[in-house]
Amino acid sequence: MTRIALLLALVGVAACVALAQPSKASAGWCWPDCSNYGILNWNTTTYNGCWFRSGAVCSGWAYWSLNGVSKTCYPGCDAYGNTTGQILYGFENSDRIRGRFTVRSGRFYISPGEVGMGGYLRAQVTWYAGVSQVNAAAIG
Amino acid sequence: MSRERALLLGAAVLVVACVVVPLASWADASQQSPLARLSNSGRAVAAKQTAFVRQAHVRRVSLLAVRGARAYYKVDANGTCFGAGPAADVGELGSVDCPRGPFPTADRPVLDFSIYEATDRGSRDFSVFRAEGFAGDGVSAVAFLRPNGKVAFTVPVRENVFATTSVAKGPIKGLAALDGTGKEVWRSP
Repeated sequence: MTRIALLLALVGVAACVALAQPSKASAGWCWPDCSNYGILNWNTTTYNGCWFRSGAVCSGWAYWSLNGVSKTCYPGCDAYGNTTGQILYGFENSDRIRGRFTVRSGRFYISPGEVGMGGYLRAQVTWYAGVSQVNAAAIG
Repeated sequence: MSRERALLLGAAVLVVACVVVPLASWADASQQSPLARLSNSGRAVAAKQTAFVRQAHVRRVSLLAVRGARAYYKVDANGTCFGAGPAADVGELGSVDCPRGPFPTADRPVLDFSIYEATDRGSRDFSVFRAEGFAGDGVSAVAFLRPNGKVAFTVPVRENVFATTSVAKGPIKGLAALDGTGKEVWRSP
């Protein structure tokens, strides 16, 4: 009986510790969802406290390992795949936002280590100029 | 002018046009080609199984250069991509760009892989955290520009790669490509 009580106590403690930690491996975020593209312009927002109040979409806080962005030619590309929309994609915390700029259409992937950041972060895609049609997804 | 002479003159103009125009185009293309060429094909390395490698169809990873603590790659994954990662772990792709369309081109001879940073929520002025990227053969240095268009700092290009962590503080709003003589051959925006 004592052994069962001890086992139950251990299971309870383990459950408490696990629930208290942010999810690490199963986290996922997509914008606007995981199968469509959305328009990112100066007033786009996800209303969840991104670094920039407008012209930005961002995930919730988690231990992200990769942020991927797919940017289409919408509303148009030149012969080399350049668009008129410029975005910054990367990560942010409460002190700073970091990432890479692109005007190209295509697929772009970045991990937190590349921007010299780690720990609890938000994955972000931020408008800088023009209009872009993007799908963003981050995995933890 | 007789009809014969007019026809002869017309034919001569046509022949000259047929020779001169292609020659001019060829000469123009030859002049631009160094910007649109990437001679460094690198050496093949084994890709580490990162999240990107698992998701994308990576067929080949070529190490183009190592600069300090960073390694730079050309990646074949359903098209030509470019990547970077820690030099301490060659083959680990920390980031990958797969732009649609060719690179480099005379129209865009620089692929900016730099990391930009902002610490003021009220401003969209970004400074450079780390300067790095890829450039066509004809580019000897990349200049980072202030919002007023003046040069903040330049980074030399070797083996089609430029990289430095020694960057000037302050806002950066554009790039320029310089040839071997220091002449500006491209600017964005």
